[in-house]
Amino acid sequence: MAAVKKTIDQVEQLETYEHGFVTDIAQDFAPRGLSEDIVRFISAKKEEPEWMLQWRLEAYARWLQMEEPDWAKVEYAKVDYQNLYYYAAPSQKAGPMSLDEVDPELLKTYAKLGIPLREQEVLAGVQGAPRYAVDAVFDSVSVVTTFKKELAQVGVIFCSFSEAVREHPELVKRYLGSVVPTTDNYFACLNCAVFSDGSFVYIPPGVRCPMELSTYFRINAQETGQFERTLIIADKGAYVSYLEGCTAPQRDENQLHAAVVELVALDDAEIKYSTVQNWYPGDAEGKGGIYNFVTKRADCRGVRSKVSWTQVETGSAVTWKYPSCILRGDESVGEFYSIAITNGRQQADTGTKMIHLGKNTRSRIISKGISAGNSSNTYRGLVSAHAKATRARNFTQCDSLLIGKTCAAHTVPYVEARNASAKFEHEATTTRLSDDQLFYVMQRGLSREEAVQLLVNGFVREVLQELPMEFAVEAQKLVAISLEGSVG
Amino acid sequence: MSLALALQSGDVTSLPSRRDEAWRYTDLRAALRAIPEASPKDEASITAGPFAAIAEAEALVIVNGFGPDRLTVAPGEHRTVSLRFIASPAARAHHAALAIEVADGGFLTLLESHEGLGSDYVSDLAISLQIGSGATVERVAILNDSAEAISVVTATVDLGANATLNQTVLTTGAKRQRFETHVSHPGQGASVRLDGVYLLGDARHSDQTTVVTHNGEGGTTNQLTKGAVRDSARAVFQGKITVERGADQTDARMGHHALILSERAEIDAKPELEIYADDVSCAHGNTVGALDEEALFYIRSRGVPLEEARALLISAFVGEVTDRISHEGARQVAQDWLLASGMGAS
Repeated sequence: MAAVKKTIDQVEQLETYEHGFVTDIAQDFAPRGLSEDIVRFISAKKEEPEWMLQWRLEAYARWLQMEEPDWAKVEYAKVDYQNLYYYAAPSQKAGPMSLDEVDPELLKTYAKLGIPLREQEVLAGVQGAPRYAVDAVFDSVSVVTTFKKELAQVGVIFCSFSEAVREHPELVKRYLGSVVPTTDNYFACLNCAVFSDGSFVYIPPGVRCPMELSTYFRINAQETGQFERTLIIADKGAYVSYLEGCTAPQRDENQLHAAVVELVALDDAEIKYSTVQNWYPGDAEGKGGIYNFVTKRADCRGVRSKVSWTQVETGSAVTWKYPSCILRGDESVGEFYSIAITNGRQQADTGTKMIHLGKNTRSRIISKGISAGNSSNTYRGLVSAHAKATRARNFTQCDSLLIGKTCAAHTVPYVEARNASAKFEHEATTTRLSDDQLFYVMQRGLSREEAVQLLVNGFVREVLQELPMEFAVEAQKLVAISLEGSVG
Repeated sequence: MSLALALQSGDVTSLPSRRDEAWRYTDLRAALRAIPEASPKDEASITAGPFAAIAEAEALVIVNGFGPDRLTVAPGEHRTVSLRFIASPAARAHHAALAIEVADGGFLTLLESHEGLGSDYVSDLAISLQIGSGATVERVAILNDSAEAISVVTATVDLGANATLNQTVLTTGAKRQRFETHVSHPGQGASVRLDGVYLLGDARHSDQTTVVTHNGEGGTTNQLTKGAVRDSARAVFQGKITVERGADQTDARMGHHALILSERAEIDAKPELEIYADDVSCAHGNTVGALDEEALFYIRSRGVPLEEARALLISAFVGEVTDRISHEGARQVAQDWLLASGMGAS
């Protein structure tokens, strides 16, 4: 009976979106709306130096001139930028502190989400179990970053963005905005003006980061936008694997999440960036949910550098996200592995750009889209080879799976080859679950729902394999949960 | 935004430019500073067209936009028509529209040629093609525009149940050239084949754009476009297949494969699928690359000179498309056209 009970529990969880709770905690807000004063307010709250404030103000002035893009295949009620809070933070003393000083409500929140904030908790498991350091971002601020000391011993800097601005201004100045320029796009520009926190990672030359680094984003406050910024720099010969997870409470209004992630890989460096995005997707009628308008880009600046993006996108009401690689260094490598699942009334427009500029650059794109319910799922990607990118090589595979009569799947690839020795291959398929396969699995005694889960897991396996182990397990569960209720 | 509109108003700002998503690789605005005056009526210089060898074909000639505006095929009737769009040496700028109707059960072999005898003319053609139930249209179009020409051909096709459209486009490009085919596909056993070949040299440009919308159950679409570019030529392929809600049992395939033969040549492709039904099988494939060095070496080791070896490989590569032409005479013309293109020269 235990199994039956488990199923009942699981189904109940689904109906409520497991992470949909709200933490009741005292918070500081910036006044509602957006103006130059708000930008100054955020900058002052963060005790930022003058150059940072100027950078923000410049971005704000440029943002006012820009128009919201409308080319993506998503429809949503326009965001009223004057009706949002741009800064919300748990009330607490400023500056670094020990975990004991953190509001217990906050700690409970992370315990509930299964994120280990106490280092000994991480260690409490089996001897030799993989460890990972966490930067926990709650609304607009980073609450705590774990394992900082141990990481510092090998020279790795892993801290909140505000801390990096204070402690390592030379690195921030050098790399901030060097991958995603201020005016890259509407949402990125807005982020430049009002970004509140995020993670900063610097791996010194020749260092292989001893543990997985991760950031956990949580939106809690109502009518608040979350604008975080992540900057990861892998110096010559360095390696880092970085994970990102996100959840938000269940609310009836839409919330905006507009992040910018910049990765810089110098000579022989490698960055592996994995995301499991599980923002609140809205209810079955499409009410509420997060607008996830994110700009993620990697610059493979050095020779033989490598960046690998892996993403599992199951949440958000609307997703607008294209993690990209600029393959500038000769022999650099870019990879993009993606699973995007939409159900209910979710809309996802996601994909990647692989821009080949250096010689002998290689890229690989594996995208698996699954749409169910009344959702719409678009892959949009660009592969381009510059005239100097001799022997550029790309392989792209985009597969879409449709479950049900009312969902939609689109594929919009752009391929631009300006080089005689470039070799690009692209293939895409769109199908539904095969009746034959379903029948075969079901006659082995599996229920229809289980059979679908099994087949879907097989469909996305190539991408799941790319995730670090702890994440792969979580992602596999997420895939099953996201599709729950989609089989008639 | 269209060339037709610009020709009518004389206003270059109504030309599509790369700011328009559908024209991002074919910027007419940048290619045309001013709209030339209208082409004169001129029928003096008509020579034999590319399909002259096909004896059974009746000719329908439109010179500088002047000529018939209608072509009909009666129910059950079989016709073979050589449809010639000629831009005479005196051509400047012209627009023509042609309505083709093939009644139920009719069969039309449409041998279409676009012959540019002038130099820097601007030509815009709109073709509407109505294909009745169970009717068939075999359309083979050869585009021989001049290197300085700007030419846009837009065909809008409507099919009935169980109708068939088989189309093959062969082009050597122009300064800016766009061949656009829109198909409204009813499903219901109708079948569409849209093929294309481009062989571009010098600074020529060619854009083959197709939009197929499946509106009903049980339709098939099969597309294969292949080509090669060299020098500083630029080829564009944009294919879009939409499967509307309820258009189940649709089987749609699209392939675009291209060879880049020189450093400065460029290929841009955008194969799109937009799918709103789940019981479908849709796929597209897109590859871009150079000639296989090993295959070249193998042929040369048999004593074939480089230039010939290249030509052999290229014609074998695109020959897959011309082999699909079912009209024997037209297939022969297409194969001769391939050989005459001189693509092997380096």
